[in-house]
Amino acid sequence: MIVGEQKPFDEVWEMVKGHKQLTVFGCNTCVAVCHQGGNKEAEILASLLKMRATQEGVDIEIVDGGIERQCEHPFFESAQEVLKESEAVLSLACGIGVQFMAQKYKTTPIYPALNTTFLGDVQEDGYFTEKCQACGDCVLGVTGGVCPVTRCCKRLFNGPCGGSTNGKCEISKDIDCAWQLVVDRLEALGKIKDYEKITPVKDWSKDRAGGPRSFKLEGF
Amino acid sequence: MTAESEKIEEPKGLETPQDIPDGWQANIIAFACHYCAFAAADLAGVMRLSYPANVKVVRLPCTGKLDQIYLLRAFERGVDGVFAAG
Repeated sequence: MIVGEQKPFDEVWEMVKGHKQLTVFGCNTCVAVCHQGGNKEAEILASLLKMRATQEGVDIEIVDGGIERQCEHPFFESAQEVLKESEAVLSLACGIGVQFMAQKYKTTPIYPALNTTFLGDVQEDGYFTEKCQACGDCVLGVTGGVCPVTRCCKRLFNGPCGGSTNGKCEISKDIDCAWQLVVDRLEALGKIKDYEKITPVKDWSKDRAGGPRSFKLEGF
Repeated sequence: MTAESEKIEEPKGLETPQDIPDGWQANIIAFACHYCAFAAADLAGVMRLSYPANVKVVRLPCTGKLDQIYLLRAFERGVDGVFAAG
């Protein structure tokens, strides 16, 4: 899922304080799982903004709302009325949702309330870790299900660097050496011989090097 | 005694500090669990005990029902303090 973190409150306030009306709009899928951008968080942020407006004597009408996903047209149906009447929208979606809304509502300013941080998983309640960089050419099949693009700080493809110590990365003691994880996993799978196979130079044109990517299904 | 140089500057709040008028009392809202704190408040009532009029009690089926937004809405509407009991 996409993980995001709410921007500092003062930064959000500076963005929106000039408007007379504001809709604080949640996205109830990925960013709701990390308790940052769901409809509940939108309600809380709207309440905090209302109190800030009162404290500073600024006259803004603030309402809150939300939908299940801000990156697909059909989900917007239930919120059409609210959004049409909005002077500005503070979106708690990831960067995708904010851009999707900006494209959809051409004359309405859409502000981001979140910093989109990474594609990750939920290790335990409230703890999220990065697992994928959407490089466009997955190698997990030969690395035992551990991504060297994301989890190796140097993105190495053929074994660890000299900074791997006791299974940890030289960048930080808190970061596992991805290649230690690959070796452990290949051993557990009985495929340690695969470690000797040389991975050819990666085709980075499928990553961001080729510009913004798109994907179109035939027959739709 | 603290030396002048060691004093920490008080953070500047958004609200301008104002003199507290005489007789001012904080507006308190109490969220009480039906099964314990509210029952205790009820018993206190039966015993003819009184509590200040600036406290308003809201009964919840359980304090687990208490949500951040209840507290924020209370503050939005000018409540000065919230008391959760359960």
